[in-house]
Amino acid sequence: MNDAALLEHNGPIATLTINRPDARNAMSLELLDAMHAAMEQLERDARGSHILVITGAGKAFCAGMDLKAVLVERSGDASIGKRLLTRLAELTVRLRALPLVTIASVNGAAIGGGCGLTCVCDLSITHADAKLGFPEVDLGLCPAVIAPWVVRKLGPGPARRALLMGGVMSGTEAHAIGLIDFLAGSRDELAGLTHDIATRLASGGPKALAATKSLLNRLDGSEDPQAVLRGAELSASVLATPEAQAALKSRMVK
Amino acid sequence: MIRFEILGDLASVTLARPEKRNALTPDMLESLAGVFDRMPDNIRAVVLSGDGPAFCAGFDLKICAADATGETMRCLLTGLSRTVRAMRAIGAPVVLAAHGAAVAGGCALLGGADIVVAERETRLGYPVVKIGVSPAVSAPFLTAMIPDGPARARLLDPELITADHALRIGLVHELADGPGATRERANDIARHLATKPGMGVAATKALLNDLARPRTDHADDALRASLALTGMDEERDRLTALWS
Repeated sequence: MNDAALLEHNGPIATLTINRPDARNAMSLELLDAMHAAMEQLERDARGSHILVITGAGKAFCAGMDLKAVLVERSGDASIGKRLLTRLAELTVRLRALPLVTIASVNGAAIGGGCGLTCVCDLSITHADAKLGFPEVDLGLCPAVIAPWVVRKLGPGPARRALLMGGVMSGTEAHAIGLIDFLAGSRDELAGLTHDIATRLASGGPKALAATKSLLNRLDGSEDPQAVLRGAELSASVLATPEAQAALKSRMVK
Repeated sequence: MIRFEILGDLASVTLARPEKRNALTPDMLESLAGVFDRMPDNIRAVVLSGDGPAFCAGFDLKICAADATGETMRCLLTGLSRTVRAMRAIGAPVVLAAHGAAVAGGCALLGGADIVVAERETRLGYPVVKIGVSPAVSAPFLTAMIPDGPARARLLDPELITADHALRIGLVHELADGPGATRERANDIARHLATKPGMGVAATKALLNDLARPRTDHADDALRASLALTGMDEERDRLTALWS
């Protein structure tokens, strides 16, 4: 595993830290590879952990796709958008299928695909001032990889509003619409609250938790990866349109 | 009784039968579905609202009661199903402004909308089982918006709910104070959606429709279930009792 994601074990609680703080933990291929490597390790041997906390190093949780990489003019690579999106789609399917109970501890900005990851996790925690949201449509993009997860997390009606309106919201607003399950009063209180909730969950029987999670996955259609994988193709085709590339370019200039 | 206006790349569709609280007739639903079917491709967002004291009180039951053959009720149910499907089928998102009442067929129109703003005093629900009519026609679209638990309660329990309750269950997405502010907020949202670049919004709406297909693919079955009861004794007795 390269060090763009760090996996640590502390008894029943494992922590996966998204570790590209200089790029606000934006998802590059390298970062997604590191996340996949962490999944592989946990699938093979979770070393006695049955709770997984995912958080971000530095100020952001995950700023979403690495926009520099998907701007074709800049990267000179027309296929990278599709590769990134496919890799992200596969990661979400894999993360959802983990027998560990997963908690997103959203320390700062969780944007686009980064916010999508919080919806894939079983539970999510943040603080009042975090910024979360799905601004894909603001850039002429379609959040197709994460849409199925957002629909499952928020319910279809509120998901429709969140994904079509774009923009970002505060941790408090995210908590109000059900995107976040637990809200810490301030950033300083997040680690403590995360620890309390992870410890509370860890008191459950690992087999009972895994069986419950597995059933919930079956009931809500999470076991069928097709919609998510098709989403990568749809997202990539929208990403390749001149309008989307122009919107990305003007965002990079800002 | 349906007003259709275009302003640049925005369209506004208004139920305009205020003296009857916008109670729906077969002709109104025919024009309403037609307006959405023929929505110009360059339109980027649509606002649906109602004139007068209420967004929509549902079907015009007086004309239903007067038609012993049940044909009027059948036309209304078919027109409603067609309208909701037409709203979902257009590429542009539909923002619905509800005030006063969004009841029965009026509440069903919410099932075709992408974003719903409601005035705080609005009452919503499907009290049609009281008149022997099944709201089955709306079930695929209601369950494509809100979780099954609240959807079941709304379709079986004839009680109306407050806008605040509707917000909690996800049937409404924002509240506003007063009919004017509600329409204004819906217009703001539509303008905001229209500024998004490229095909992101249209592609995302189409994708969300696709994800909802396990529910909305039952639209024909649902309409048949509602049609099966029209003109039967239970419905006739209860409808005529309303006016006696």
